[in-house]
Amino acid sequence: MGEQKFDVLPRGVNQQAFLKAVEAFRKLLGDENVLTKPEQLIAYMKIMMPVDEAEHAPSAALTATTVEQIQAIVKICNEYRIPIWTISTGRNFGYGSAAPHHRGQIILDLKKMNKILHVDPELCTALVEPGVTYQQLYDYLQAHDLPLMLSMPAPSAIAGPLGNTMDRGVGYTPYGEHFLMQCGMEVVLANGEVLRTGMGGVKGDNSWQVFKWGYGPTIDGLFTQSNYGICTKMGFWLMPRPPVYKPFSIKFDSEDDIADIVEVLRPLRIAQIIPNALVIANALWEAGGANVRRTQYYEGQGVTPDDVIERICADKGIGQWNVYAALYGTREQVAVNWQIVTDAIKALGKGAIITEEEAGDTEPFKYRAKLMQGIPNLQEFGLYNWRGGGGSMWFAPVSQARGSETSKQMRLAKKILNKYGLDYVGEFIVGWRDMHHVIDVLCDRSDPAEFKAAYACFQELLDEFERQGYAVYRVNTAFMERVAQSYGPVKRRVEHAIKRALDPNNILAPGKSGIDLETFKG
Amino acid sequence: MISSKYIPIIKIRPIIVGVVFSISLSVHAEDSAQPRDGEIVYAKICGYCHDVGIGPNIKDRQLPPEYIHYIVRRGLRAMPAFPEPYISDEELKQIGRFIY
Repeated sequence: MGEQKFDVLPRGVNQQAFLKAVEAFRKLLGDENVLTKPEQLIAYMKIMMPVDEAEHAPSAALTATTVEQIQAIVKICNEYRIPIWTISTGRNFGYGSAAPHHRGQIILDLKKMNKILHVDPELCTALVEPGVTYQQLYDYLQAHDLPLMLSMPAPSAIAGPLGNTMDRGVGYTPYGEHFLMQCGMEVVLANGEVLRTGMGGVKGDNSWQVFKWGYGPTIDGLFTQSNYGICTKMGFWLMPRPPVYKPFSIKFDSEDDIADIVEVLRPLRIAQIIPNALVIANALWEAGGANVRRTQYYEGQGVTPDDVIERICADKGIGQWNVYAALYGTREQVAVNWQIVTDAIKALGKGAIITEEEAGDTEPFKYRAKLMQGIPNLQEFGLYNWRGGGGSMWFAPVSQARGSETSKQMRLAKKILNKYGLDYVGEFIVGWRDMHHVIDVLCDRSDPAEFKAAYACFQELLDEFERQGYAVYRVNTAFMERVAQSYGPVKRRVEHAIKRALDPNNILAPGKSGIDLETFKG
Repeated sequence: MISSKYIPIIKIRPIIVGVVFSISLSVHAEDSAQPRDGEIVYAKICGYCHDVGIGPNIKDRQLPPEYIHYIVRRGLRAMPAFPEPYISDEELKQIGRFIY
């Protein structure tokens, strides 16, 4: 064991110190939970970003199953100055997957820490560990016949609520803004102490999962998209499953319709007539969800021509824009709201409403209807086949839910993507008053020219959007430092002051969201 | 008004208090020490892509266990990689037997 030489080391750590740390980890966790061989680590290196895997190669991976183990791990990390990159299920596709922010960080894999600790069907709350997947929780609710509904992102079946919420991901039900529905966290701090947020610190309290704010500063948000602690338990709210669920789609034939769509839907969303995080998806996003591959229609290089997109739309019954929304409630509630929705579309004078009965078993309606009802599936992975080659980065600027803004963002994004020979594949997810404008920058990672173009394109998207006053809400590990700059120097100084206070040895995920005591010079 | 457009998904029914109490205190974990059945892992992970045309069909193709292990651990193009804590070596063997 003592002779082992490591190919990859953490930044600033030599072979000898790393070996000592690995030996300490082995003593703590057992050999089987300390992975250091290249063939054991290869699964953590699969990324979708167009950058070299070597830049994100871990030096080792640890598997922990208890809070006490994690406390002991951070103690060892502090002693040897070992940085750890924690993953829950490691499915953060298009944002970095399971790979660490930079080369040499140790992965702390919490997938085996997978207890569903508590589900309360009366108060509609859950408390879970990091490794619980949406599929596992869904199966649990089904097995116990609990009338509760989950909200999940598109990689639902294999991703998990804790990781998704900690990265402030979104879903498609009325509870689609996941961090809004989070209630109570348990966090292992860098010094090994265990913090419970909200009401969780009160001895004997039973309100941890029902009252978010606790007393004094509410600090849950500090632990999302950050590197101030390791979340080991998270509470969140579940929606009661309604007696009636009515998904529907509205198809629009012109790309110019996006402004009108937003203007007609915003009042309905804000007033909760349409209560869910509805989406407005463009034609190519829909094509991916319908299992269409670009090569079936077009063998050329560069941007897919408009006439090809129109042909796909005609063949598959897809609109240039496609709204997916749903109504939830009693028969009477749904009837009233359905009337309001149909009247609004009728008054608009364009847009074809498609009900579930009319859509039948067709995709992408089928998978969208499942997602809006909290049923796991992976149909949206069809997007990755549109271009093929496994390259994907989410460019996700925030937008006001205002027609003029969405139209402006869409045109700007499309212009830049097309300049690099890439297609605009985008959707708007309507939060409440905001929209997550989510664009999949797809590329073939095996094509060197496309690989290079996608990276340059992403840089320009960030730059140009920033010039127009926009920024993304989340980004992949290769661009975290760049995006942190968009949010201004004062915020960065505060973030690093907190980092110095909570993690002076910089052991927790340095680089996450641009927070890194070693590289920040502000 | 809507008539036949409703999609009832559950009947509202009273929930027995005792049952609620026991459920609300229950703890459920996938037992990491016990491999899950290959058919179940296939259905809950692999099948979502490989049964619907997103990934290629992998059933009844006599894929060698070594090949399955190689691809699952590395991923392939858009297919994600799954590390050992996510799907164990033994579970991979069972998936291999199920789809063989």
